Amino acid sequence: MSVAGDISTGAPRLHLSQDMQQLLYRLLAAGLLCVALSIATDAFFTTNNILNVLRQASLLFFLASGLTLVILTGGLDLSVGANIGLSACLAATVIKATGSPVLGTLTGLTAGCAVGICNGLMVAKLRIPSFIATYGMLWVLHGITYYYMAGETIHGFPPGFRQIGSGYFLGIPIPVYLMVGFLVAGTLFAQRTVWGQQIYAIGANPVAARLTGIPVDRRLILVYAFSGAMAGVASIVFLARLNSAEGDIGEAMTLPAIAAVLIGGASLFGGVGSVFGTFVGALILTLVLNGMNLLAVNASWQPLVTGVIVIFAVWLDMVGRRRS
Amino acid sequence: MLKLTKMLATALPAALLSTAALADGETIAVFTKNQTNPYFQTVRVGADVAAKSLGAKVVHYIPTKPDSIPEQLSQIEDVIVKKPSAIVFVPVDYKAMVPGVEQINDAKIPVVNVTDRSAGGKFLAFVGADDYSLGLETARYLLKTMGGKGNVVILEGVKGSLTNIDRVRGFNDAIKEFKDVKLLASQPGNYQRLQGLQVMENLMQSHPQIDGVLAANDAMAIGAIEALDGANRKAQVIGINGTKEAVDAIKSGKLLASGDYNGFVQGCIGTMVAIRALRNEAIVGEVVLKPTVVNASNYKPYDVPLDARTCPTWEEAAAMATKTPTKTN
Amino acid sequence: MSDQALSSAPARLRIPAVPGVAVALAGLAVLFSALSPGFLTAGNLSNILVQSVILLLLALPMTLIIMTEGLDLSMGAVLTLASLVLALIVVSTQSLVLGLAGALGVGLAFGLVNGWLVSVLSIPPFVATLGTMGAAQGLALIVSDGQSVVGIPRFIRQVYSGEVAGIPTPILIGAGFYALFHVLLYHTRFGTYICALGGNRDALTLAGVKWKRLLIAAYMLGGAMAGVAALLMTARMNSGHPTAAIGMEFDAIAAVALGGTSFEKGNGWIFGTLMGVLTVGVLRNGLNLLAVPSSVQVACIGALVIFALFLDGMRSHKS
Repeated sequence: MSVAGDISTGAPRLHLSQDMQQLLYRLLAAGLLCVALSIATDAFFTTNNILNVLRQASLLFFLASGLTLVILTGGLDLSVGANIGLSACLAATVIKATGSPVLGTLTGLTAGCAVGICNGLMVAKLRIPSFIATYGMLWVLHGITYYYMAGETIHGFPPGFRQIGSGYFLGIPIPVYLMVGFLVAGTLFAQRTVWGQQIYAIGANPVAARLTGIPVDRRLILVYAFSGAMAGVASIVFLARLNSAEGDIGEAMTLPAIAAVLIGGASLFGGVGSVFGTFVGALILTLVLNGMNLLAVNASWQPLVTGVIVIFAVWLDMVGRRRS
Repeated sequence: MLKLTKMLATALPAALLSTAALADGETIAVFTKNQTNPYFQTVRVGADVAAKSLGAKVVHYIPTKPDSIPEQLSQIEDVIVKKPSAIVFVPVDYKAMVPGVEQINDAKIPVVNVTDRSAGGKFLAFVGADDYSLGLETARYLLKTMGGKGNVVILEGVKGSLTNIDRVRGFNDAIKEFKDVKLLASQPGNYQRLQGLQVMENLMQSHPQIDGVLAANDAMAIGAIEALDGANRKAQVIGINGTKEAVDAIKSGKLLASGDYNGFVQGCIGTMVAIRALRNEAIVGEVVLKPTVVNASNYKPYDVPLDARTCPTWEEAAAMATKTPTKTN
Repeated sequence: MSDQALSSAPARLRIPAVPGVAVALAGLAVLFSALSPGFLTAGNLSNILVQSVILLLLALPMTLIIMTEGLDLSMGAVLTLASLVLALIVVSTQSLVLGLAGALGVGLAFGLVNGWLVSVLSIPPFVATLGTMGAAQGLALIVSDGQSVVGIPRFIRQVYSGEVAGIPTPILIGAGFYALFHVLLYHTRFGTYICALGGNRDALTLAGVKWKRLLIAAYMLGGAMAGVAALLMTARMNSGHPTAAIGMEFDAIAAVALGGTSFEKGNGWIFGTLMGVLTVGVLRNGLNLLAVPSSVQVACIGALVIFALFLDGMRSHKS
């Protein structure tokens, strides 16, 4: 960002980088949505509802933030939804068996991360296209989860643990604090660390990245591990919120998470996007769904509306980039 | 590469042979909708227990994609090749599976319809519950507990599902019986816990005073309870299914009641009918379980874990019959 | 002149010695024949072929689309919507022809939108078709109000369960379209252009070929095939259902990838796609015959996809 003087008029002009511009537009869109919804229904701009929206967005954000890193490298992780299911069920088992939420949480995170590492190995070392590798992994995870759960549910967790999902601190839901935490950490990682910059480089030009000495394979495994670990985080919050584990938790979250990343401005070709953009994307998506619920719009319209928004957001992005 | 293939070629058969059926006694093929809804697990366990006690074998067929119509149709075609002695059938969709049932009829395999009443095809018998009465009775229980007045919301199940249509109709008819009860909203939660939770949250935003929640299944009821807890609001909640989780919630006072949709008994009786028909013993044409509302006073029998339950005796089952058998072959 | 520039463009695929999918297909067939007496019967093999046709009808155009470095995620939802429209039209007019026209219309319309979004607006295919998938899904739910559409006259069933000269009709339909796609891809200029769209788009532009129209045509072809598949699906269920084919596009993409078509280089192999579709069909059928528990089946399907592509990856690495 720089301030430059315009010679003819003498007035200072603000130069924003492309990406910053896109982010601002998106924030603007989110803001406009809020305004529109406040006008459309009284129920929107209440403390409770705003907090609900933030909490719902956080679940989506956990998943989408890990996905962002994968998409930055030009890949895709279709297994995140199934990962949530397996991690949640394993974590639930541990909590029930040991009575310790801490052990359970560690189990969930480790399981999610382990799945992510497997994905990374398949993509980096076995050179299987990420679409196929993670799609196959999705099925394998489902198979393991269904076999393990055998159609049952695990329910009833200690109240302390459940605070993670449904508790409040200073009036704000705890998942929101987690979301802000991961938002800051993710943005710092991507923008300010060497590893983060390397990930962007890999997405922008894998061949050049390799030639400049970036350990591409290790970074790829890293991003998939992150994606899996974030699925693990999401699984713990889910578990705490729902107070039970079933085989198909998180199943329906994969595509909305990818949509959130895309609405946030990331490119599937890699090298473009940001964790903050994904945050705004998740917010926009959740606002729209919340609005539709409050306005009692028939649930059948939801997939259609989501689809149109994704296309529109990406199109706007491209138009914006082409102009400059 | 070839070494790996060879390894798999010897390892796989060893693993699979342990699951291959070596028929000893009748083989009953049991079809259910999916692997994730605990209700169908109770049906499967009921079938297993019944078959074991009668000396027959049960093989389960579940679509790999939950509720997939094309997959269940393919599974029927594949199963017909294996010629099981009989089939116990829960259709993924009660209308779309009719061609599949007709294929079973053409192959002259006797088949019993369980849970969702199929819209066509010939069956030995139908074993199910009366979703309408279940919805009606459970709703009446809640409305009476509310003192016959207040605001209620309905959490519907999957649109187009037969159980949903009947249960919600029962809810609505019960509400009509109580003049001072107001129905604020009726929204679908798709029988899912998370959706039930989120829909309830949204409803609580739009309606500051909700006294009762009629949920078409237990998963959504529990979801609604979590939402209420999270917002520190109170309401009476009922669900349907009588799952273990619901019983636990009734014990702890969070759930008011749950309509007993006894999948275990349905699986038992359905399998018993199939086996008896094969052995030329007397069967019944239809068993529709009476609606029972599980609440704090009568939950004890429902608190028994699945593996410890026993099927009703045939005499008990026949006593519940609502129709005489029709000749199907 | 334009042909000169194109004739050097590769129109064929360098097929690896023994493709992973062939190993998988042959291996599974041998395995199941040995373990299951009912597998190798005419009736069962016929079942596998018939059960695979709908997926094949989607996988064939998907091969072409993937060859253009694209993807069509909307196929399953479009198939579902087309099947509903067909069912509704047939129920009210009793005319199969009108119903089929409706289904094709739906397919072509979505194909046009997909093609336009991808080629004119330059929206990445994943995003564009993700969006249209949502649109089609939503429309399917709205049009049907979540319920099955029944009341379809019995004769429609014949499309799926009938036979011609002893061969089940679906197999003939599948074989016919396979032949059509083979000719289209390997013996027409359109096919050559499609190959070039994947690896060599600049050559096309230099040669003055209007590749945007080609791309739109490819997606419209996909939509039309979804319409044809809708006929078979409606005939099979004797009804229209709003969630019948949701997710089938991923199966089609997996089958195409299994068959050796690459996402990145514009190499396409129709026969590979056929083998990919059959491999999945054989696996599912064999596991059903062996009464393998459903959860294990689910894991096997994932393992198959990974395994076959792993084999291919190893092979191309060696060469």
